[in-house]
Amino acid sequence: MKIKWYFFLFTIMVLSIITFPFISNKDQKPLKIGIIMIGDSRYEKLIGLKKGMKELGYDDWSTEFLVKSGRDQEATLASQIEDLLNEKPALIVALGGIETLKLKEIMEKQNIQIPVVFAGVAAPKEIGLIKDYRSPGGLFTGINNYHTSLSGKRLEIFRDLVPSISRFHILYDEDIEVSKLSLENVKAAAERLSLEIIPWNVSDSKNFLSEMKHKIHLNDAILVMPGFKMELLSKEIAQFSKEYHVPVMGLYENEIEDGILASYGTSYFDQGYQSARFVSSIIQGNSPADIPVEMPDNIRFIVNQKVKSELGISLNKDIIHLAEFINPNAEGMSQ
Amino acid sequence: MKSIIYWLHSQPMRVKVLVFGIIMSTIPLLLISYYYYSNVKPDLEERIISKQELVLQNLTGEIELEFNQIFQQVQMFSIINDKEDKQPIFYDLLMKNTSIEEVVIINESGRIEEKVSRYDLNILESNERWFSDEMWDVFQSDDRIYGEVEFNQFGQPVMKIALVYRENERRNAVGVTIQLQKIIGQISSLKQDDLSYLYLLDREGKVIAHQDYRKLWHQSPEADNKEMLGVREELVDLGWTIIMEQPKTTAYEPINDMFMKGLMVAVIVTLFVSLISIYAGLYFTAPIVLLDKEMRRLKAGHVASPIILNRNDELGQLSQSFNEMSQELQEKSFRLKQEKERLDVVVNGIGAGLALVTKNYEVTWTNPLLESWMSKEEIELPCYTLIGGMNTPCDNCPITCPEINENADTIMRMQRGNREERLFRHRVFPLTHAIKGEGEYLIVIEDVTEEKQMEEKMIQTDKLSALGLMASSFAHEVNNPLATIHVYAEDLIDRLEQYDDDLDEVEMALYLRKIKENTDRCKRITGNLLNFSRKSNWKVSQFDIKEIIQNSISLVEYSLKKKNVLLDVSIQEEMPYMAGDSIKLMQVLVNLINNSIDAINQDGTVAISAFQQNRNFVFKIKDNGCGIPNHEMQKIFDPFFTTKPVGKGTGLGLSVCYGIIEEFGGTIMVESKVGKGTMIIVSIPAETRFKEDKQ
Repeated sequence: MKIKWYFFLFTIMVLSIITFPFISNKDQKPLKIGIIMIGDSRYEKLIGLKKGMKELGYDDWSTEFLVKSGRDQEATLASQIEDLLNEKPALIVALGGIETLKLKEIMEKQNIQIPVVFAGVAAPKEIGLIKDYRSPGGLFTGINNYHTSLSGKRLEIFRDLVPSISRFHILYDEDIEVSKLSLENVKAAAERLSLEIIPWNVSDSKNFLSEMKHKIHLNDAILVMPGFKMELLSKEIAQFSKEYHVPVMGLYENEIEDGILASYGTSYFDQGYQSARFVSSIIQGNSPADIPVEMPDNIRFIVNQKVKSELGISLNKDIIHLAEFINPNAEGMSQ
Repeated sequence: MKSIIYWLHSQPMRVKVLVFGIIMSTIPLLLISYYYYSNVKPDLEERIISKQELVLQNLTGEIELEFNQIFQQVQMFSIINDKEDKQPIFYDLLMKNTSIEEVVIINESGRIEEKVSRYDLNILESNERWFSDEMWDVFQSDDRIYGEVEFNQFGQPVMKIALVYRENERRNAVGVTIQLQKIIGQISSLKQDDLSYLYLLDREGKVIAHQDYRKLWHQSPEADNKEMLGVREELVDLGWTIIMEQPKTTAYEPINDMFMKGLMVAVIVTLFVSLISIYAGLYFTAPIVLLDKEMRRLKAGHVASPIILNRNDELGQLSQSFNEMSQELQEKSFRLKQEKERLDVVVNGIGAGLALVTKNYEVTWTNPLLESWMSKEEIELPCYTLIGGMNTPCDNCPITCPEINENADTIMRMQRGNREERLFRHRVFPLTHAIKGEGEYLIVIEDVTEEKQMEEKMIQTDKLSALGLMASSFAHEVNNPLATIHVYAEDLIDRLEQYDDDLDEVEMALYLRKIKENTDRCKRITGNLLNFSRKSNWKVSQFDIKEIIQNSISLVEYSLKKKNVLLDVSIQEEMPYMAGDSIKLMQVLVNLINNSIDAINQDGTVAISAFQQNRNFVFKIKDNGCGIPNHEMQKIFDPFFTTKPVGKGTGLGLSVCYGIIEEFGGTIMVESKVGKGTMIIVSIPAETRFKEDKQ
């Protein structure tokens, strides 16, 4: 009897192929995590998120980040969101308020059910992202960066930091809900602190800084409210501050780097890092509806020593115990 | 089990190879898998517990460190004497510990005297109280106060702790509100690869952190029916308990998975080995099956086809050997057929009956000739009855007495049916390579009736020839006494006619006595002659050897005298009687003496001696005649061989002597030298087992 060797080998191969799925490891494909950001300014959050994921035990092989950026354009953001949704990620991390709201709008429109973690949104309950902080009750959960509620506190800290300030110009965006809410908080705080404030709606005027320069007096200061447009104008505001010797307080560390005096808020990196906890909890089977929204783990008060020197102002010695300084070796530094 | 083994034994070799392959491939794998399964399980349990303990120790260490640091920092504040300028210290606290939400100074009445908040304005509400009722109670007695886990306005879990200090004999306290979300978030979100989970219980048993958020803020999860592997660590100061658990079903999943994979591998290996075993089974057994098939063909008497295997291993060599053997077997079979054909021809045409007989005298086979002599019923009889017509085995048969070297050569008479009585020669030959029960002895039965008749005729012819030759001697022998009788009778008649007075009774008696003596002599001679010439069958009797010798001599007396041959007769005294046919012995002696006389031209000597030596009767007839040339020695017993002149001999003498002596069971030897003479020695056993005629 002649044995057909090729038939023999073919049989072995077929058997191996049939049985391979049973003995090979289960699906090891990395989990797809969608990232949506309005622009590269949010990149720091993505770095924080990746670091947080790594520290929670997720290596590069277990997760795959599908990063979509709106390149600072709202229109582009929408198309990027749609692209991202088409890729059907397991969950999406929205790196800011505008991204989260846009994502919610598109998901509701397309009736898509994907868990979403917002890595820093001011007043999520107030803007309708969640029902309740302890039980969000929908597809969204994440970090309330507290920037709305913190606006009054920022006014107080700004006052304490530069006691010589007599009047505060408040930059806000009438088109942004959180910005408006923040202004309301500031107004309430100003009333309690007996401070004078002048609101400036940056959405009304394309060149509000040129208008403002005519209204700036000695011992005036600028307090920036949360809002995407304000974030984009960070450098112009810093330039204005330098030019007109007006101390400015913002929210983020990057604004300090752009040249404003101080910021009080949670950093992009910290928000990204903290949002890793939400991502991990969802990966492990929790529903975003059950995961309470968290406040920032860390609120940073940062002071730019160089700007302070340039402005030639004196700072309150008590409050600087809470502050972190950048450019500490700048001329005239004293603590 | 026995039935399985029996079944396996009954299976062809390829099935056995397959079963062997499967057993050899699966059993070690299953044993190894089982060994690892049973040994790895406790080890896995231990590792899981160790890992859980390590995780919990790290987490409890971090939490305790966090709270200890806060207390240390708060304690630092409490020991500072100058509490007027508290703001920098408050900010320091907030700066150093990001979990602290607010710092407050509480007076002895429980009201906030001063506060610094991370989120809210530092403006105090009127008569704002900070302690809960439970904390207030503890504040009265303890220096360190822990609050319950509660939620702030944003739903965040927070906890208040306070440290009492004394200022101006007043019992004040420094209180901090600590955000717990970081701790809770860390516990809740810690990645667990092995389906274990963590949760944290406060002092009331309420879940303040759980990896399954649905269980958050509920009472301690009730233990379900699942068996758990878990450890717990107590945070003594806080009264919290952190627990890490894993259902045993999921804990053992890796080894169950490994075991299942082991089984799967065993299945695959079994499949693989089965294929190899099938191939190996066919590879090894196909040539054997082929060999078996050809063997069967060969066995059935067909011509086996050559087995061609293109391999040089043992099976290749076996097939080659088979081919050679098959060819050789076929050649030998052909030769065997030839031999058988020849043997059949011989057996059937030998003219003798053949039979195979067992040790029990049972006839197992007869050749057609013997079969024709016997009826079917007779063939079933024992051989001694069938052939010998006896009721008991024969004494001189090698079957009865295996130590007998002879072959029971006997002549017997048998009469079958209405046919005439015939003579048969019966011999028994033991078979060396016979199969037990199939006939260990071959009996040869020859119809020697004609042969015996011929022999008898030859003997008679020889006798008559001798008588013819001796006729003149007899005439002379008889003539002399007759002449004497004649003389005496004539003289007596004359004297009676003459009334011879001298003829008295005494003389008369003398005359009559002489006549009687010579008449007796004539009578003896003629009687002797008649006796010698009588045609008779073998007749056994007891006789006196001496008398026989004398009678024999009397027949040749005239020839001796005629040639003036001196006869020297020497017969041992008191020789016992001999059993046998005396006439036949006399014929032998007469023939031998005649030959001696013929060998002597004139004035020779013939010496006849008879004696008993050992258990034999020995007869020596010695002459000093011309002797026998060597080249004729071998022919002297041949019938019709003679060196005598025509009319002097028939050439049957010695041949007949040989036959008779053989009948006596004896031997005849010739010693001769040309010109010196010849000596014939005849030796006949005293207990003669001459061939008996049996019926």
